[in-house]
Amino acid sequence: MIRKGLAGGSYQPLTKESIAKIDQTVMRVVEEVGFEVNSEAALKLFERAGARVDREELRARLPEAKARELIGMAPPEVKLCGQEEKHDVLLGGNRVYTGTGGTALYIYEPASKQTRSATLKDLKRIARLVNRLDNIHLFMLPTYPNELPIEQVDANRFFAGLDNTTKHVMGGVYTLGGIKQVLRIAEIAAGSAEELLERPLISMIGCSISPLKMDANYGDLVIEIAQRGIPLVCPAEPLCGATSPITLAGNLVIQTTDSLMGVMLSQIVKPGTPVIFGSVATNTDLRDLKYLAGSVEMGLLNAAGAQMAQFYHLPFYATGGMTDSKVLDAQSGYESAMSNLLCALAGANFIHDGAGMMEFALTACYEKFVIDNEILGMVMRAVDGIKVNDDTLAFDLIKEVGPGGNFVAAKHTRRFMRREHYQPTLSDRNSREEWEAKGGKALWQKASEKVRRLIADPKYHLPAEVRQQILSEITGIVD
Amino acid sequence: MAKKDIIGLIRENVIQGRVVQDDESLDGGMVGEPGVTELVEEALAKRLDVRDIINKGLTEAMTLVGQKFENKEYYIPDMLASAEAVGAAMKLLEPHLAQSGIKPKGKVLLATVKGDLHDIGKNIVTILLRGAGYTVKDLGNNMEPQSIVNAVRVEKPQFLGLSALLTSTMVNMGDTIQALEESGLRDNVKVIIGGAPVSEEYAKSIGADGYGSDGFQALAVIESLTST
Repeated sequence: MIRKGLAGGSYQPLTKESIAKIDQTVMRVVEEVGFEVNSEAALKLFERAGARVDREELRARLPEAKARELIGMAPPEVKLCGQEEKHDVLLGGNRVYTGTGGTALYIYEPASKQTRSATLKDLKRIARLVNRLDNIHLFMLPTYPNELPIEQVDANRFFAGLDNTTKHVMGGVYTLGGIKQVLRIAEIAAGSAEELLERPLISMIGCSISPLKMDANYGDLVIEIAQRGIPLVCPAEPLCGATSPITLAGNLVIQTTDSLMGVMLSQIVKPGTPVIFGSVATNTDLRDLKYLAGSVEMGLLNAAGAQMAQFYHLPFYATGGMTDSKVLDAQSGYESAMSNLLCALAGANFIHDGAGMMEFALTACYEKFVIDNEILGMVMRAVDGIKVNDDTLAFDLIKEVGPGGNFVAAKHTRRFMRREHYQPTLSDRNSREEWEAKGGKALWQKASEKVRRLIADPKYHLPAEVRQQILSEITGIVD
Repeated sequence: MAKKDIIGLIRENVIQGRVVQDDESLDGGMVGEPGVTELVEEALAKRLDVRDIINKGLTEAMTLVGQKFENKEYYIPDMLASAEAVGAAMKLLEPHLAQSGIKPKGKVLLATVKGDLHDIGKNIVTILLRGAGYTVKDLGNNMEPQSIVNAVRVEKPQFLGLSALLTSTMVNMGDTIQALEESGLRDNVKVIIGGAPVSEEYAKSIGADGYGSDGFQALAVIESLTST
């Protein structure tokens, strides 16, 4: 049984009063401090929308009422489609979905305990792998093809995704020319520009720079994506003590403001454009300011982010599920489980980076996708909660079985056992003797075997004529 | 409905663990469609060969169920539902066995030994053996060696299955076998043992004839001892 889109929200690190205070502070920052907009086009749009603009500082300050009006224009739900309809998701409310994230430069190989540079071939194989992992609902392009020149990266990444998985493909983008190619590829895959708008097979990410700054390149990218109507994620990545106050509350103010900056810009470009409020908020290692991907605070911040998104009625893109470990050890497991669980229980709509990522998000690992698929299955079971009704309370059965009896042979057991209890896809539940008889393998070894099996069988590809059209029309795609 | 179809449906419904038409299949479907009971009744009404019903319908299905259990696709409750379906079918077929020239498979006595109140494992074996066509008498739990000996004397079974869950009570299996020896009944019955703490080695050490690590193993051991 595949659990997805279930309602979270049982975990609420912020009280109603805390949410209101964060919101009030965010509005003061938007109005009094403002943000630096390095894209000329974006700055003009903010000005036209009613911002007070200081051209010398490139600073835009929006009145609170105007900010609220713009946020209110954004749709509360965003549909992300797969090439197969069963993979469609509707982000919004407190429904929980999971996915991969990005963008890693290296691949970790547990057999040798070494990392190597990630290539386009890795991206294709990981897409094929994730296509077969049921607890990962969305495919975000997780690795960077290091061997390609940057102008070819966007088209190749998205083509690799669309050609190897039927799940929705989301990804960061690097060049304006690349975005245009990606949109054309997606149009061909969807059938036409109209069909792509109707069923967005892809979505894109435009990051702001915390604190309170919009980069020239990303400002232009956000405008381009919003104009085309493709779902857009606007995440912010404030780091406690480095690019935000050290306090979690202060971090939440920066994250919320920075993400809303992108949301508002998209609505100025085109009211109603599908946009996703996003968080990559975390803390740093204050010995060297490294970005931390496995801290418990990251889980808290992103769970709180889900509450802020619910407060603004915006779909939410959370970050969870990573580890800072360099190997597939206990740290790798508990860190990934912790933040995935906190985000999911808070009702984060899309937990990105939920699988496959380690070492400060620099490195991806095939085996870890498989291991995290298991974690996510357990996490989604936790989200599913405990159903209490006459059927599940089972009074009649208890009466029938009576004192000293057992429930093994009851039909009720068989009816509910698979629904009520998560079925492991990887974890070992053998007795010691059985486990030893099967080679006494560590988890990563079992994961390796599963990777080999899933990658080998059976391959998905775009229909031949669609592939042909894309390959002949878009230059620079490495088939 | 063609003959092959009914037997195929019996096989499918055993695999799905559906005794009667009100039962659901593994995925919760099929409610209202004929179950094994209705199908066997129909097969008998159509005078299908009882041998075919048993061999191609029931036994083949249980072999598949056993494989699914080994592959960890099936859980104990799945296996029990299938065995129950076969048990229901065998009850209907029983009056027809003699005229079809099929010999009954034999009688098994089962007991959890003295001092031990754990009977889930033994109950599972009961259902599985009944599903495989054996006549099973379940003596219950916390059974004194002498009570078991008396039952063997009266019931004259071909097999005696002893169960224990505790390391502190498993020694009573040995005592029971000892009591059988002393009463002169030991050679009349094959003794097999099972339960979490016991092993093949332990079975040998107390002079048992066989050991089953789970329900299907118990059945396999009994089948292999039947043919010797």
